Amino acid sequence: MMAAIRSRKSAQIVLGAAFGAALFAGAAHAQKQGGSITVGLELDIPGFDPLKVGVYDTSAETAAAAIFDTLTTLDDKGEAQPKLALSWTHSDDFRTWTFKLRSGVKFHDGTPFDAEAVKANFDRQKDPANKCRCAFYISFIHDVQASDEMTVVYNLIDPSVNLPAIMTIQSSNFVIQSPTAWKTKGDDYNRNPVGTGPYILKSWTAGDRMVLERNPDYWNKGHPHLDRIVLKPLPDAQSRFASLQSGEADIIWDDEVDADNIQKAQKDPKMTVHTYAGSGASVYAFNTKVVPFDDVRVRQALVMAIDRNKMSQALTNGLSRPASNPYGEGSWVKCKDDGALPSDVEKAKALIKDYGKPVDFKMIVSATPRGRNTGQILQQFWKRIGANMEIEQVDQATIVPRAFMRQFQLTPWRIIDLADPDPQMYANFHTGSPVALANYSNPELDHLLEHARVTADVARRTDDYCAISRLINQEAIWFWTFQNTYYAISSAKLKGLPKIYGGVIDVSNVWME
Amino acid sequence: MLGFVARRLLYLVPVLVAVSLLTFLIASLLPGDLAYVILGDQATPEKVAALRHDLGLDQPVWWRYLSWLGHVLEGDFGRSFRTGQTVLQAVAERLPVSLELMFFAEIAGLAIGVPVAIACAVRSGSAFDRFMTGSAFGMLSVPTFLSAILLIYLFAVELRWLPATGYVPFAEDPVANLRFMVLPALTLALAEWPGIMRVLRSDMIATLQEDYIALAKAKGLKASRILFVHALKPSSLTLITVTGINIGRLIGGALIVETIFALPGIGRLLVGAIYTRDLIILQGVVLFVAGGFVVMNFVVDMLYAVLDPRIRHGHA
Repeated sequence: MMAAIRSRKSAQIVLGAAFGAALFAGAAHAQKQGGSITVGLELDIPGFDPLKVGVYDTSAETAAAAIFDTLTTLDDKGEAQPKLALSWTHSDDFRTWTFKLRSGVKFHDGTPFDAEAVKANFDRQKDPANKCRCAFYISFIHDVQASDEMTVVYNLIDPSVNLPAIMTIQSSNFVIQSPTAWKTKGDDYNRNPVGTGPYILKSWTAGDRMVLERNPDYWNKGHPHLDRIVLKPLPDAQSRFASLQSGEADIIWDDEVDADNIQKAQKDPKMTVHTYAGSGASVYAFNTKVVPFDDVRVRQALVMAIDRNKMSQALTNGLSRPASNPYGEGSWVKCKDDGALPSDVEKAKALIKDYGKPVDFKMIVSATPRGRNTGQILQQFWKRIGANMEIEQVDQATIVPRAFMRQFQLTPWRIIDLADPDPQMYANFHTGSPVALANYSNPELDHLLEHARVTADVARRTDDYCAISRLINQEAIWFWTFQNTYYAISSAKLKGLPKIYGGVIDVSNVWME
Repeated sequence: MLGFVARRLLYLVPVLVAVSLLTFLIASLLPGDLAYVILGDQATPEKVAALRHDLGLDQPVWWRYLSWLGHVLEGDFGRSFRTGQTVLQAVAERLPVSLELMFFAEIAGLAIGVPVAIACAVRSGSAFDRFMTGSAFGMLSVPTFLSAILLIYLFAVELRWLPATGYVPFAEDPVANLRFMVLPALTLALAEWPGIMRVLRSDMIATLQEDYIALAKAKGLKASRILFVHALKPSSLTLITVTGINIGRLIGGALIVETIFALPGIGRLLVGAIYTRDLIILQGVVLFVAGGFVVMNFVVDMLYAVLDPRIRHGHA
């Protein structure tokens, strides 16, 4: 995916003019300055202090994208571009990354942005004494050093060939917050975040509206376009859509469960449906250490019995996009052959017959309408081939520990949209990883995973990941049902929305025509 | 009277203790250990054990209840692990919204229910009476989430008279505040008026057959005066009972209505706490709401005694 990485190991990567991606994106349109928009989000935002909230959900990330900046940003092609970092280099083994920072940037409270600020953000999350839930996602980073005023060095435990792309997500780990602000505000900082971003938090009523106003001193001159952004949690899907129809919201979060409204909006000339076919998928893991899933024939039979198109029709009026590998259309990994098993009921029946013993098992499903429906449909598919699945409804918070302790036969999981497959693929499939849920160990698979994470050449990495997909599909230790698709619906007048990477609706650079 | 109030207040103590115990047990019996919720995807067994110890979850239930109760009695309801807000802060922020909603809903419910009940009682058995009684029955069966969406589509999307979702504090902009309140309050009122109307109607029908009404008629008093003054007064006890019970139902309705209309009230706080497993907030808010309901019933009891001296002398 990354032109830079394709070039040569440890080459100096100097990426274009300072304002790179942002200016290109809107060149064809005349951006209009001024005005305001209201954004309808799904959830109440609990706050922004990583020590308090741990990790942001996508609603918080939408706000974070406006208030804060990250070091790097993803362009339309999915490549990392400069933001608070101007350029970067890496060591031959991809374990050391050095970022040159943009100078002259100030946080909203006047604190200068520099290497010490970046280091302070990292150290605070990493410090074991702070017990931050956010620390898990930066466990691959050993430390961050400020080598001079405007240079930071990331020393990694695990190599990462795509670190700048991974760091683009507006999560609690990668947005840069003002150290002065969290030190002086203490407990109040959580609801009074201070960043370097294009918008400044003006007011915030719990459970209601968050008002953001244009940062007049934003480093990227000419940006942002709007004077004001209002973020509102609108938890009910129907009334959220009604708010868009009645003009109280200009853009709303949505997902494919709300297929009726998405399809209605697609036919409405006054609305724009923004869709991003992301990487990753809804996935399921077999516990290969327990009967009947210790036999590959059973696993293969169950996977072959699934008709994803029918399932998509039943769940989301056909909006859900079937997945045949863990990467998806949004990923740069494109496989000619991903080794997906065919959907073939007869063959599946034959495999079960060949196995010869009764196939009875329990499957964990999340206690949500979507989870229940999915479970029931799979139950029907598997009944046709003579396998009896019992649904065990478990709430979301319980799925994780059950999975960690391997207390399941078959469990749902998720591979989220991320700029690089390595972090999740390695964690999900390498022997010994806490989330290698299938309890499956294969030296060939381990070798491919290890090789892929230290290889810069995109073609060779793609070969590795496609081989990994073939191996997993053939062994059927996990299976994938649908790719991740992210939605936002807006008024047709709203322009300049970037791709919904990671499900984050980034309105920090939009304008109204 | 003071002795009566004191005795009644004493009865509240065991009720409140029972409420707090139930609240605590429900929250702690929910599947999903708080330590797992907090740790999320890094819930390794060692970290869970350490956090459980920090949170006191490795103590027996009765001990945890007593220490929680002790803190509650000191006014410390705990702190959300997600936002760092205390329960009291969260409730104080949200309570005015819910109170306003319930106030308007109750007013609107009475404004529809009482006149309809009187009109039906006067012409009991007529086509109008049968139609209204039938409609009331129909309205009782319409769930609030349905009437809410229908009202939004009619008044916000089609006619554009009122906003679909949102809220503005009264102090900031009174007119906007009231506009935002109309549809949610109406939604709740649509579920409230049938109950008020049915109870009051049968009450009035009985009252209208009393001798003193006949006497009033014979004295040549105006029909409206007889209906609204003489006949309605004995039904005031009934109305207070219904209103008191309704408050409890309104709290339940507020969970749904506040979510649909995106009002930042107690209901939304509670729903959010359930979804995110914010057990501290959940426990605190449920206790607060249940306590409020108990106190509300106490006030209703007191009003009885004020309105009807027989209660405070005879049966108390």
